[in-house]
Amino acid sequence: MTELLDPTAEGAPQALSYAPRVASLTGKRLALVDNTKFNSDRLLQKIGDILRSQHGVGETHLWRKQTASVPIDEATIAEIRKTCDVMIAGIGD
Amino acid sequence: MPGTLTSKRHVVADDADAVEFCHAQGWTDGLPVIPPTPDRVRAMLEAVRLDAQHAVTSIAHRAVTLTAEKVAINAVLAGCKPEYMPVVLAAIEGIGDPAWGYHGPGTSTGGAAVLIVVNGPVARDLDINAGDNLFGPGWRANATIGRAVRLVMRNVCGSRPGTLDRATLGHPGRLSYVIAENEGDSPWPPLHVERGFRPDQSAVTIMAAEAPHQFYNQLSNTAEGILTTLCDDMRISGNVVGQPEYLVILAGEHTRTMAQEGWTKAQIRQFIFDHTHNSLAHLKQTHRLAGAVQPGDEARLRPLVESPDDVLVIAAGGAAGAFSAYIPGWGSKRSSRAVTKEVRP
Repeated sequence: MTELLDPTAEGAPQALSYAPRVASLTGKRLALVDNTKFNSDRLLQKIGDILRSQHGVGETHLWRKQTASVPIDEATIAEIRKTCDVMIAGIGD
Repeated sequence: MPGTLTSKRHVVADDADAVEFCHAQGWTDGLPVIPPTPDRVRAMLEAVRLDAQHAVTSIAHRAVTLTAEKVAINAVLAGCKPEYMPVVLAAIEGIGDPAWGYHGPGTSTGGAAVLIVVNGPVARDLDINAGDNLFGPGWRANATIGRAVRLVMRNVCGSRPGTLDRATLGHPGRLSYVIAENEGDSPWPPLHVERGFRPDQSAVTIMAAEAPHQFYNQLSNTAEGILTTLCDDMRISGNVVGQPEYLVILAGEHTRTMAQEGWTKAQIRQFIFDHTHNSLAHLKQTHRLAGAVQPGDEARLRPLVESPDDVLVIAAGGAAGAFSAYIPGWGSKRSSRAVTKEVRP
């Protein structure tokens, strides 16, 4: 018999939950978070335009991450919390 | 001394079964592994006099703490000797450094590997290859230290190909990418001394890196001639418009030419910086930069790196052959920078 030790992480599972969904986008302030990849700002602005013209979003604000490979910084998150109601962020190339 | 080993235990019939079991669990890189039995793991921890629960580092974005026990288990899997553990630990500290930025190199489609350059007495003590067949197989320390780091990334941090690790191509350095600087034959201060350590200290420099690119120059017997060839190779390299840092590895023949002319590492860095600019016209014509070529773009130059200091230079590789190499880093300076960590005896 051979006994083996497990090489993988065994941390306690963390409870994560989604933010509550908004019932309606009407009049909501939308944050768009650009991940800095080429054309991501244009794509997000296009999405913002559609949400404004077709789904009643009130205003859109574009934010830009420092770089694609790091999470958005806490100061920006705090600012978005203060100034916006919903947010769209995405990653990808 | 290692304290209690708390990892989950699995029981199999024998060592041969254990190897297959490890493969079946997805714990390996595809090569056979050494079964991580408690005795083998304890030997790893005793070599570094650490408690099993000692936190070596943490990866904030992965919400994971890398304990000495988990590093030791993966070092056993990789085939490390216990005396390699100080180097493995220093490298793990490196990938946990926010400046190195695990999130990018651990996940990106760019497919960087963890390049580890070992300096100081430990490289000689552990027979870490700095000479012939520098990036090739044949040295246990080179092959297993980097493998241990990659297995930690896979098993503890979750960087598994196709899930968190989305490398499009990757490269063979992702199995292990460990070299030492040939300090004995080098005319220059070693890399770790340039980066703030004493010559009698040992250290590892960790860089997120693409594959090595070899270049050949047997025609020129001058430093400028050799570096001109290098720069012509380097100028268009490292994906779109270059990478934030480069490692240049000068092997025996080329190093001797540089030494005969008294070139310093600083002069080499400056020459490379000065001779690797690209015109905006060329970058646009080759679709590396967006937009139409504008009048004057032929004369507008973009440097490959921001500063000469972004080119790291070491002496390593075989004594014979007019070959040297360069390695593009990865990402951007804000995403990942090379870091140097002491290997504590």
